[in-house]
Amino acid sequence: MTSSRRIPGELGIWLFVAGDLIVFGVFFVLIAFGQRQSTDVFVQSRAQLDLWIGVANTLLLLTASWFVATAVERHRQGERSACARLITLAMLCGAGFVANKAVEWSGKLQQGITPATNEFFMFFFVFTGIHLLHVLVGIGVLGILRGVSRKPEAGPHDLRTLESGATFWHLVDLLWIVLFALLYLL
Amino acid sequence: MNPPATQVAPDALFTKSLRFCGWSGIAAIVLFILGGMVLGEMLPPLLRANDSPAEFVRKVNEHLMSIRIGSVILMLSFALFGPFGVGIAAQTRRAEQRPVLSYVQLVFTACGTMVALLVAFTWALMAFRPDEYHPSTVQMFADFAYFLAVFSVPVFGGWCVLIALPILLAPEGRTPFPRWVAYVNLWAVLLFAPGQLVLFFKDGPFSWHGIVALWIPFVAFFLWILIMSMQLLKVASQPDPIPQA
Repeated sequence: MTSSRRIPGELGIWLFVAGDLIVFGVFFVLIAFGQRQSTDVFVQSRAQLDLWIGVANTLLLLTASWFVATAVERHRQGERSACARLITLAMLCGAGFVANKAVEWSGKLQQGITPATNEFFMFFFVFTGIHLLHVLVGIGVLGILRGVSRKPEAGPHDLRTLESGATFWHLVDLLWIVLFALLYLL
Repeated sequence: MNPPATQVAPDALFTKSLRFCGWSGIAAIVLFILGGMVLGEMLPPLLRANDSPAEFVRKVNEHLMSIRIGSVILMLSFALFGPFGVGIAAQTRRAEQRPVLSYVQLVFTACGTMVALLVAFTWALMAFRPDEYHPSTVQMFADFAYFLAVFSVPVFGGWCVLIALPILLAPEGRTPFPRWVAYVNLWAVLLFAPGQLVLFFKDGPFSWHGIVALWIPFVAFFLWILIMSMQLLKVASQPDPIPQA
């Protein structure tokens, strides 16, 4: 905190973020190629998605990111119990995302739309599924952060842990925003 | 069992053993490139998950001798996962007062090595007598080999997690490897994960010949071996890798 050039969290988490972005970069290129090859299928299938479920999920993740960022700020100011409360709220937003996804997926499956329907829905289910896995891991990470901020005594590495975990959560958020644009909006 | 707190004497045998383990990893990569890529044609995939059984037989027959020689070399490559993995566990064990995580890691090392060896077994069997087996059996051997390699996410992913945990949980100044190595291991888990998609697709990027389910996990796996081997060699070159508390 003394130096303005300090990396939030630690170097390793940023390596992880860069690595994950490369993988999702491959996914995004695959969607773009699919879009070019079978534009009609993609446009028709996209129209079958419920845009508002996507919008709601985007808002949930953005709100969660805001809670997490504020929580880290509160921790820096020494307000550890406020930090824990904000992380709990972020976890609830994450749980809302998971529930919303479950509603969306089961609705699609009930209409007979599966990953086997066409290339668009194959990408839709697989990539949002892999992202959902990230959200679940992210909720677990937030649980660890909550535990850290609720410890009776603050430890010397708490801020590093909090910042690293928060960075992962922001990554989950960022990946969703790109996926949302490519799958729902394009 | 705990080393005395003042022990600093360099252990020449440990250093040599660790160097052997590090070079085992690098040899495993070289032998995989030779046996699995150049000769065995596992990667880039000679076969495709949506080929007909007859097509499997035709392709295997066409490359019979090179697949057989490749399989022999593959066995060597995968057997070297043993010393490679044990070297890592030996080093993470030094950072633990009462080792548990390193022992769990060893279990995953053994499982991973066995699963990998079975890949080579299956690949060899596929090229043993493709004309006498029913064509769908040849197809199944190929499926089996790729499933062992990429569907086995919890085995190889668990191995990486059990390397990451003792690094992340080690007290400051006593980490067995730099902390970023732990994150590289977690990243590797993420890259292996799409391998489980092979069960659901027979064509496209998520099938066992596709970019997401085959290429990403395989490239990540051998990149991971390279990084960990380099780390082992680096540790071996330091006089006292873990400063005693």
